[in-house]
Amino acid sequence: MDEQTFPGTLDSLEGVRDYVARAAGQAGFDRGKIYNLCLAVDEIVTNIVLHGYEEAGLSGDITLRADLDADEFVIRVEDHGKPYDPNAHRMPHPDDLSLPLEDRAIGGLGIMLAMDAVDDLQYDATAAGNVHRFIVKLPHANAATSPGRQS
Amino acid sequence: MNVVITEVGDVSTIRLDGSIDGKTAPLVREQIAPTLEKASKVILDMTKVNYLSSAGLRLLLLVYREFAAKKGKLVLLNVSPEIQSVMSHTGFLSFFTLAGSDVEAMGAFA
Repeated sequence: MDEQTFPGTLDSLEGVRDYVARAAGQAGFDRGKIYNLCLAVDEIVTNIVLHGYEEAGLSGDITLRADLDADEFVIRVEDHGKPYDPNAHRMPHPDDLSLPLEDRAIGGLGIMLAMDAVDDLQYDATAAGNVHRFIVKLPHANAATSPGRQS
Repeated sequence: MNVVITEVGDVSTIRLDGSIDGKTAPLVREQIAPTLEKASKVILDMTKVNYLSSAGLRLLLLVYREFAAKKGKLVLLNVSPEIQSVMSHTGFLSFFTLAGSDVEAMGAFA
């Protein structure tokens, strides 16, 4: 799908989710998967806006591009804020998720939701900008070679 | 995001309409704060909430704590399957009372 550029502000979240939903819909994903992809990209874009741009005293754009090939569906998100690597973030421990809500730490859930919604979340910080890639493997890529077997 | 608050007897209903994300969650919090402060029986009607991110979970967490502290009763009405799935995945779901109809929600206060 054609790339689309948004201002790096929280006002852009709705448009970002619309873009992801359209691209994921065109790729043929079901409703639950589309929802989770919107959630994944929304969570990361929220972090880019809050930590990459606002907290760092920077402003700039966020560009989305969706690509579909025979094996995978990829959403690429590029920004020019302060580098913010989701993989370096401390994730909630599985035990934390069964703690009473009174005792929960607030935070970390967004990145966990983002990572769990996709098969892979890659991150690269370069001089030209920061790039997140949300990758979903397409099920038929495996089914063709091993009929009847699920990995 | 639209917020409508109604009162019937001692039960306050907060009807949310729209997406709860990093932009809208703080606005919702501001709008519902006075009701949460004075009411001890609240229905959070999520029939028209089509999306909830971790910012929405954070809002639910704050509301939950407020109600646990004052021993109030909070019921979430008509939470979509997608949002229930997010709440389940993050270990939130089991702490909340969910209802699938107005009658069921009112019954939770009995």
